[in-house]
Formats: sequence, C-alpha cells, structure tokens
Amino acid sequence: MGTLVDARNIRGVYYLGGKDLVAVDDVSVRIEEGEVLGLAGESGSGKTTLGSIISLIARPPLHVEQGTLEIDGKVQELGGDAKIPRTWRGAVVSMLPQGAMNSLSPTKRVRHLVYDVLRSHDRKITKDEALDRARERITTLGLPARVLDAYPHQLSGGMKQRTVTIISTLLNPRLLVADEPTSALDVTSQKILIEMLLEMLDKKIMSGVIFVTHDLPVLRTVASKIAVMYEGRIVERGPTEVMVDHPQHPYTQALMSSVLAPEPKYTRTRIEGMSSFDRKLFNAPEVIHR
Amino acid sequence: MALAKYLGRKLAWTVVVFFVALVLNFLLPRLIPGNPVDAIVGQLARGGGTGGEQLQQVHEHFMEEFGLNKPLWQQFFIYVGHVLTGDFGTSFGQYPASVNHLIGQALPWSVAIQLPAIVVGWCIGNMLGAIAAFKGGWLDRGAFVSSLFFSSVPPFALAILLLFVVAVKGGVLPVGGAYSFGLSPEWSAAFFGDAITYFWLPFWSLVLVFIGGQAVGMRSMAIYELGSDYVNYNRGLGVRDGITVRYIFRNAMLPQFTGLGLSIAALISGGLITELVFSYPGLGTLLFNAIGQNDYPVIQAITLLITLAVLFANFAVDVLTGFIDPRIRAAQSGER
Amino acid sequence: MSLRGLSPRFWISATLIIVIVLIALLGPLLVSIDPNATIGGLYDRPRCCGTMLLGTDNEGQSVLANLVYGTRTSLIVGLLAGVIATVIGLLIGLVSGYRGGWIDDLLTAVTNVGLAIPAIVVIILVSVSLPKRNIYTLALVIGLTAWFWVARAVRAQASSVRTREHIDVARLSGAGFWSILARDILPYLLSYVVMAAVLQVSGAILFESTLSLLGLGPGDATSLGTMLYWAIAWGSVRTGAWWAFVPPTLMLTLIVFSLLLLQSSLNEVFNPRLRRGRAARKKTKLSAADEEAIERSRPEVVGAAGLLETPASSGTEAR
Repeated sequence: MGTLVDARNIRGVYYLGGKDLVAVDDVSVRIEEGEVLGLAGESGSGKTTLGSIISLIARPPLHVEQGTLEIDGKVQELGGDAKIPRTWRGAVVSMLPQGAMNSLSPTKRVRHLVYDVLRSHDRKITKDEALDRARERITTLGLPARVLDAYPHQLSGGMKQRTVTIISTLLNPRLLVADEPTSALDVTSQKILIEMLLEMLDKKIMSGVIFVTHDLPVLRTVASKIAVMYEGRIVERGPTEVMVDHPQHPYTQALMSSVLAPEPKYTRTRIEGMSSFDRKLFNAPEVIHR
Repeated sequence: MALAKYLGRKLAWTVVVFFVALVLNFLLPRLIPGNPVDAIVGQLARGGGTGGEQLQQVHEHFMEEFGLNKPLWQQFFIYVGHVLTGDFGTSFGQYPASVNHLIGQALPWSVAIQLPAIVVGWCIGNMLGAIAAFKGGWLDRGAFVSSLFFSSVPPFALAILLLFVVAVKGGVLPVGGAYSFGLSPEWSAAFFGDAITYFWLPFWSLVLVFIGGQAVGMRSMAIYELGSDYVNYNRGLGVRDGITVRYIFRNAMLPQFTGLGLSIAALISGGLITELVFSYPGLGTLLFNAIGQNDYPVIQAITLLITLAVLFANFAVDVLTGFIDPRIRAAQSGER
Repeated sequence: MSLRGLSPRFWISATLIIVIVLIALLGPLLVSIDPNATIGGLYDRPRCCGTMLLGTDNEGQSVLANLVYGTRTSLIVGLLAGVIATVIGLLIGLVSGYRGGWIDDLLTAVTNVGLAIPAIVVIILVSVSLPKRNIYTLALVIGLTAWFWVARAVRAQASSVRTREHIDVARLSGAGFWSILARDILPYLLSYVVMAAVLQVSGAILFESTLSLLGLGPGDATSLGTMLYWAIAWGSVRTGAWWAFVPPTLMLTLIVFSLLLLQSSLNEVFNPRLRRGRAARKKTKLSAADEEAIERSRPEVVGAAGLLETPASSGTEAR
C-alpha cells in the first residue's frame, strides 16, 4: 500500500486585523492508501483548519502561508498566491463539511445539486447520465432512490448526512476530508454513517479518509491511524490501538484519560483535567509511532 | 397536494380580509354626524349653482341610492350588492357623472405609471443589489450609499425635486398633465409619442425610490447568503461559480418577494401623491379633488380599489412564494 | 453599552435629529413673528435677512416662519402618533405573546387583519368623516392604525422569552401577570421597542404629510405637509417659486432620512457584535479580500421605503 497523500509543511494563519492567529503551525501529514486517519484534538487545536486547507477550500481571513500537497505524483502548491485548479476540488480531494445539514440549499432538490456537481467537471454529461450515475451510487450504498427528488427539509438528519456523503464522493475523489461528520447525529445514525464510510472505502470509491473529530470513542471504531493536534501542531501520531492504549505524549495522555467509555477498566480511573494552555505540553517534542 | 391547500388557505384569508375592509369602507364614512346627503345638498345650494327643483332631484336620487332612510344593516346589503355588481354609484361633486366613469378615465393613467414602475424598480433594484454584493469594493460602497439615500427620500419629495430641476428649470420635460393641451387620448403613435414625455418624470420618481429600497435589501440578503454553508460546500465540490450564483439568487430573492407584498400599499399611496405633484390625471388627482368636494362615493370607491389592489398583490406574492420556496407549502400543509 | 464603539452613522443621525428638534423648539422663539401674519405679496422672492429669508408663500406669509412652526407641528404629530402606536402595539404584543391561549388567537387574528388592510385607506376614510381635524385627532388616528406590525413583532419576541427560565422563577415566587410583563419580559424587548418607536415616528411623519398633501391635514395649524399642499395648489412649482416648496421638502427629507439612519445605527448599538473595532483596524493594512471577509460576516439591516405601511426591514429581520 503506497502513499496516497503527502501534505508537507502547512502553515495556516488567520489575518484578523491586528492580531494574527496561527491556526496550523508547520504541520506535515501523510495518508496511505485505504487508510482512515483520525485527526483529534480539542476545540481550537487547528484540526478543522488543517482539514479545510487540505481539502483546498481555505479562504480569507484564513491564509495558507506555505505548504504543498502531493497526490498521485502531482504536486500542488498551497501557500501564498498559489492558484488551485477548481477541478481538483471534489474530484481529487473532497470535503464532507461540518454541519452537513445546511450544506444543501433549501430551495433546490438533491438531483439539481448532483447534476450541477457532475457537469461542473464534465461539460458534456447529460442530465440523464448524471442522475443515473447518482442513482446507482445511492442504491448501492443502501439509500432509497427517492432521495434524489427530495428537498432538504424532507430528509431526516441522518439521511441528509449520508446523502451529503454520497454527493461528496460522486466524483470518486482520492481523498475525503470529513469534518465532524458524526457530531450532530444520534448514536444509531453515527454507526450507520461510519459503516457507510468504511464500505465506500472498501469499494474504492475513495482511497483514503481524514476524519476530523473531537469525539475520541468514534475514532476508535473508524480510524486506522490517529494524529492528535494541540495548539496548531501535531503532538503525537500512530496506529489507533497504540494511541489509545499507550499514549506517550503528556497531552495525548491527558486527552485519552478524559474519555469516559462504559468499559470496565474505566470504572476505576480518575479523570484528570488540564488548563487550557500548558506551555509544558506545548513544548514537549512530537511523538511518532511507526 | 400541498400547493393547492396552501393557495386555498391564502385565498380564503384574502376573502375574509376583503369583507372586513368592505364593512369598514361602508361604516366609517357614516360615522359623521348628520346626513351626508343633506350636507352635500346644502353645499350645492349655498354655492348657488343649482336651483330648487334640481336640488330636490339630487337629494332624492342620493337618498334612493344609499337608502339612507332604511336601517343600517339594510343599507349595508344595498352597498354590498352595488359593489358586487361593480356599480359604484353617482358622484356628488361631479353630479350626475357616474363614479364608474370617472374611475374608468383615471385608472388607466395610474396603472400605466405604477405597474411598470413596480416591475422595473423591483427587477433593476434587485439586480443592482446582487451585483453590488458579489462585486464588492467601490461599486458596492457607492451603490449602497446612493440606494440608502433614495430609499429614505419620501416619494413625493423626489417628485417635487425632479419636477423643479428637470422640468421647470431645465425645461427638458413637461411640467404637468398627461398629454399636451389640445390633444385627446387615442390609440395612435402620435399621441403615444406625446404622452410619453409626460410619463417620464412621474415614472422615474417612483422607480428611483423603489430601486433604492430594493437594492439595499437585496444587497443585505445576498451578502448573508454568500456566507452560508451551501455556498461553501458548492465551492468545495468544484461547482462552477456561475452555477452557485443561481443558488444564491434563488434564496436571496425570497425575502424580497415578501417585502414586496408588505410595501405594495406604500408604493401605491406614494404613487397617488406623486400624481398630485405632476397634475397627472390618475386616481391620485381624482381622490384629491373628491376630498376637496367631500365626494363620498368617489372616495369610497377609490379606497376600495386600493384595498383590492393591495390584497390582490399580496395574494399574487403568496402564490409566487409558494412556487419558489418549497418549505412554505410544506410548513403550511403540516409536512415536516 | 460603551460609547466608544458607536459608528459615525449614529453620531451623524443623532446630530441631525438634535438640530431638527432645536429648530422646532427654538425656531419659533427666534423668528418672532406669527406664521399667519401677512408680510408681503404672493410669492415674493427671498431677501436677506430676517423674516423674508425664504420669501413669502401664497398668502403673503413668511415661509421661514411657516417652516419653523411647520417643523414643530410635524414633529409633534409624528412623535405623538409614534408613541401611541408603539405603546398600543407593545401592550397587545406582550399580552398576546405571554398569555397565549384564546386571547392570543383573538389578538393575532385582529392584528393580521389590521396588517392586511392598507392603513392609508382607513386613515383617509376616518379623516374624511371627522367633523374637526386638528393635530391631536390626526395623531390619534395615525397612531391607532399603525400599531399592528409592532404588535406582531413584539408578540413573536414575547412568546420566545416566555419560555425562559427566569420567567418560571418569577411565577413561582408569586409575581403577578402585569408585574412579570413589566419586569421580566419588557427589559429584553427594550432595545427592539426603541428601534420600533423610531421607525414609527418617521412613518407617522410621512403619514401626516401624505394626508396633508391630500387636503386632509390639520385644519388649524401649519405643518410641513400643509405647506406643500398649498404650494402645489397654488402652482408654485410651475411658476418657479422654489422658496415655497423646496424648504419644506428638504426639511421633510432630512427628518425622515436622519430617523432611518438612526434606526439603522441603533441596530449596531444594541448588537455590539455588529460593531467593529475601527481604531484597531486602521493600524494594520488589511487586504481588500480580508476586509471584505470580515465585513461580510456582519449583515446590514437598514430602513427602507415602505415606511407608510410596515417597515420593510426592521429588527425582526436582523440576523
């Protein structure tokens, strides 16, 4: 299994007029084929920002000061005034946004969006071809075909999330960046969504997933590797079991110990808190598990 | 289906409101103490224009027409009967001209100015607002400030200023009336060419104010929509900008429609006053003269017409919104 | 509510309004002649200075004097009618929103009918039937027909505040119906009520001038609207006697414009997150794109045409 995506030296800064906020501070990340990389951290750690930079949708006041993205041997500059080709979005790297509930325009049926997405990448495609493709994809993944004719308000929360997931992957992107896809769902819908993601990965609809979340128990079920972010940097990364059971960076340890899961070993564990910014944690060197 | 149910409810509501308006239209003028017919006839007598026997005829005619000697509720039914058959009675001030005739002469002029003004103002105003929102920069700032000014100016104020600057001082366009003295209305190119010069100033007074209001509103809506999630998502999927613009426009337009319904009444009254400024022979001037002469039948007919126009316009807006926004029909019919 | 972050818009409109009010209050004292006194002939040209500063009108009276008294009349009518409308709307909206039940249904139905029937129609019908028209009856009529949209908006806000916890606390501690309305709900609506009142006043002033232009104005007093009525009736526009109609027009426009500007800037006062730290911003050079991005995150709410019936946009549409 080779390297799917190699993101190097990404630096993302919010220009806020007076105070610049460094959200992502020289981060490099690599995803292998067939892998789900979990990007974990607290609010404000920069994980969402990193996700939006990698999915190529960063825009002012967020500025990517430097960084490169290499996919399939093609290298794309991200920093400064780099021009990012429109067709990369959705077809090479695609996003599954946070709050997918509002990602569908309330006055358009699903099939309108499907057609618009497909014809933005292929001028010659006809409406029928586009809808057929979408219908096939939808039914293969277990959703009823009537979803295409629905308006967003006619779909339940879980249905909407899965519909949006399908639309995000219609063009078979190499990498899918999912930003908190399960945060607004109930536990059952979460499970269904995760199963769908893994099924899509299995069918090679996409070849890799970055799963951004603060919900650690979810990562355990879906991610093969986890990277923990703190204050704009990755402090520890490695295979999921190692990260969960034997974290070595002090921040990761604090993070993992703050999770309450209904498992026997937690009944006797104390929850340690931590202050919001701890210079000691920030300055501790990064831990990489091979 | 949802749409039919929604429209049905709106129609029923409109009918109810119209009925209330009818009652008010009937009741309010009758609040004055004394008999209006006596007052009018008294005025005519004092004016010395009509003699004794004629006065008697006038008096009898109106007592008959309004049934003033009958109990109030019977009068109301007479009134409703008249309205439903489209008979608005006889004018006091221009006796024995029928109100229908007077209105029939004045109405086309009013409609000729107001209808195009509303349509053109709405379209241009919204386009201007949308463009300003998308382009941003200096265009946005300039358009915003000038729109703000135009939308705050009372419509007749703009009319007066335009009249003074363009017509009186500038001499470019005629000062008042609807067509040159000596001509009479007909369906000919020559008449049309002449009437059009009288048309411009009143038309533009209304349009400019309306454009200002629409542009300001649309700009806000568009800016708001530009920051919404679906725009971001579309961009993230590589959807072409031109296509996303259509999504934005559709969503931003909705409140503009509702706003149109709300401001129709103000537009119409603004239009009527503007007619006064330009001595334009529409309903506004007719109303003005009727008020001066205490010509109740004419006044009542015009107010009823205004109410009808406003109700109809609001209904039309509701219909359009029902077509454009799927959530409205769903909410109304109890869908999720 | 600090004063430092207030936008220039607020200060400009506030200054304008203060100037106008001063003109209305002090003007009559300074101009020192009776507006009804004849001081010249028909449409005499303006001469500096003093009572002939703006010439004479169709009755040979001083336009300057009439302007000053007229401003006062228009402002009084506007203020009176605006306050009446706001108070009625507030009361009805509060009771309707907080009480709920059949009272709410009844009041809402009345409000909706009132909103659907054009106010101008009712006002014309009533004014035509009044035996005597003075500024107080006029203000009353305008106020009584303009409260509907205030009631609707207040009701919406009151019914959402009703579900908050501090109301339950008040109820449990035995507070009475009116006491809860006044002390627990009203403070939340205060900012909105102020903005609504401003809009009402400007709408009422427009109403009054519309009525006066139609010939339904106050019979015994000069207002800006009646000045225009006479100016049009006597053809001053056609003969070019600009001093008869331009001053009242400009004054009316100024009043309405500054009130609308005030309302729009009040929005910023009451929603502090809409304000920007302007001083801080000026120190760094932001690129146009960044300014745009920050600017666009604050939606604007402005007054618009349509004041005569309902404000086409108001606090209810603030997002």
